[in-house]
Amino acid sequence: MIPAPPDSFLIRCPKLGHQIYFSYCEREGGSFPCPKALDCWHGIFSVEEYFRERYEQEVFEGIFFAKPKPKLLTLVELIEKAKERIKK
Amino acid sequence: MEAKKILLPEREIPRQWYNILPDMPNPLQPPLHPGTGQPIGPEALEPIFPMPLIEQEVSQKQFIEIPEEVLDKYLLWRPTPLYRAYHLERHLGTPARIYFKNEGVSPPGSHKPNTAVAQAYYNKISGTKRITTETGAGQWGSALCFACNLFGIEAKVFMVKVSFYQKPYRRLMMEVWGGNCIPSPSNETNAGRAILEKDPDSPGSLGIAISEAVEAAVSDPDTKYSLGSVLNHVLLHQTIIGLEAQKQLAMLGEYPHVVIGCAGGGSNFAGLALPFVRDKINGKEVDIIAVEPASCPTMTKGPFAYDHGDTMRLTPLLPMHTLGHGFIPAPIHAGGLRYHGMAPIVSQLVVDGLIRPEAVHQLETFKAGITFARSEGFIPAPETDHAIAMVIREALKAKEEGKEKVILFNWSGHGLVDLAAYDAYMSGKLSDYELPEEEIQRALAEIANLPKPKIKGR
Repeated sequence: MIPAPPDSFLIRCPKLGHQIYFSYCEREGGSFPCPKALDCWHGIFSVEEYFRERYEQEVFEGIFFAKPKPKLLTLVELIEKAKERIKK
Repeated sequence: MEAKKILLPEREIPRQWYNILPDMPNPLQPPLHPGTGQPIGPEALEPIFPMPLIEQEVSQKQFIEIPEEVLDKYLLWRPTPLYRAYHLERHLGTPARIYFKNEGVSPPGSHKPNTAVAQAYYNKISGTKRITTETGAGQWGSALCFACNLFGIEAKVFMVKVSFYQKPYRRLMMEVWGGNCIPSPSNETNAGRAILEKDPDSPGSLGIAISEAVEAAVSDPDTKYSLGSVLNHVLLHQTIIGLEAQKQLAMLGEYPHVVIGCAGGGSNFAGLALPFVRDKINGKEVDIIAVEPASCPTMTKGPFAYDHGDTMRLTPLLPMHTLGHGFIPAPIHAGGLRYHGMAPIVSQLVVDGLIRPEAVHQLETFKAGITFARSEGFIPAPETDHAIAMVIREALKAKEEGKEKVILFNWSGHGLVDLAAYDAYMSGKLSDYELPEEEIQRALAEIANLPKPKIKGR
């Protein structure tokens, strides 16, 4: 198995705007990695192989080919979801 | 002695923002609901924005009065100085005359309070007691806290937990200005509680923080949400940058041949550029360049189409320059520039040929930022470095052509709390990346069958 970089190794996260460690990227999407993790860590270690070892092909594609949502375009959806949560 | 700063007297501060919507050769296409395919009206945003901002979002009035209360706050740092970059010119050996609008002099250190102050004001007069937002490293969050403090509104900023603990400086700025900065996920919202229930040690994410901020606004009639980029009203408020620059250049009898800004969500670029776009629409010859990272070619290589905002195709369709909802931009090191889509206004103006998009590689941007810091002294924000890189290209081109071009750009913010990015560059940790052509073609194929916006004469 490909080992993950240690938390002492930091790169700049373009979403957050500051330095971050790999274990954050590995769970940024909750139970799943940040979809940008392949791009951000590519060239630093074998990140694609790392995730392919850990996820089935379908899940892998779901994570990394399911692209991030732009803030503006998700506002209406977020409002609707928030209303649903409040109702519950 | 050469005058380096062109200072506009406070009494000369522009009294109106410029709204480009009625001047656009091709009106903006309305967002479409992904389920029905029908246009979505601004009322859909009513649960989270006050009515004056929603009205501005769709206003067809060419100029909109800046309220006296907003002007009074703007005067804390505005008009911002227009600098002549003599030292950079000499360093480059260019005959070009380079001017930059220094938006880094604002208390939070960037252009962002131009809209934060306006949004806080309109919320205040609408009875809003609290404004929420989300933030990562804290650039927008700090600007909003600064603005809310000026108007006596509570600011509640959901800051991604890992940022909260790793980036204390902007968090402290928020707190100094009286903001309530909460590590997200939090126990304050259902969204946050659900995450914490599953994972008490969750470091958070921007997605979670946005969900919390929106929920906090939706669940309390006294609370609204605020966004710092992309939307029309945000770009409107930023036009004070370009309107001031026009007055300052007129004081010198100058008019730019080239106007340059970095373009992420589009607000700082549009803030400088839109008043000059108006001139261009009315016949002026000016080259207006929006600079984006080479690794995120949303404008330079994407067509203009309706794009689904997410892969599940549930969010509204909005016309944007796009590489499709299947596109993941490559890594860059300028947080504010990495957006899936550009502000719709900027996208449309690119389509109309009024703005020229250009892309620069990240290594070129940091090299430019350091060149600037070592010539002019000010350390730019990593996002601002993109504009500087293009300025240097244009200045060297003028040198080759032997032309005395006037170049104007937006120095959108300082980089004093972004030095880790410079450290990474100087220690050789950064790398360039350009999206391979086959990847671009693959992404474009995904949106080939989506409805295209109508464009006059095409």
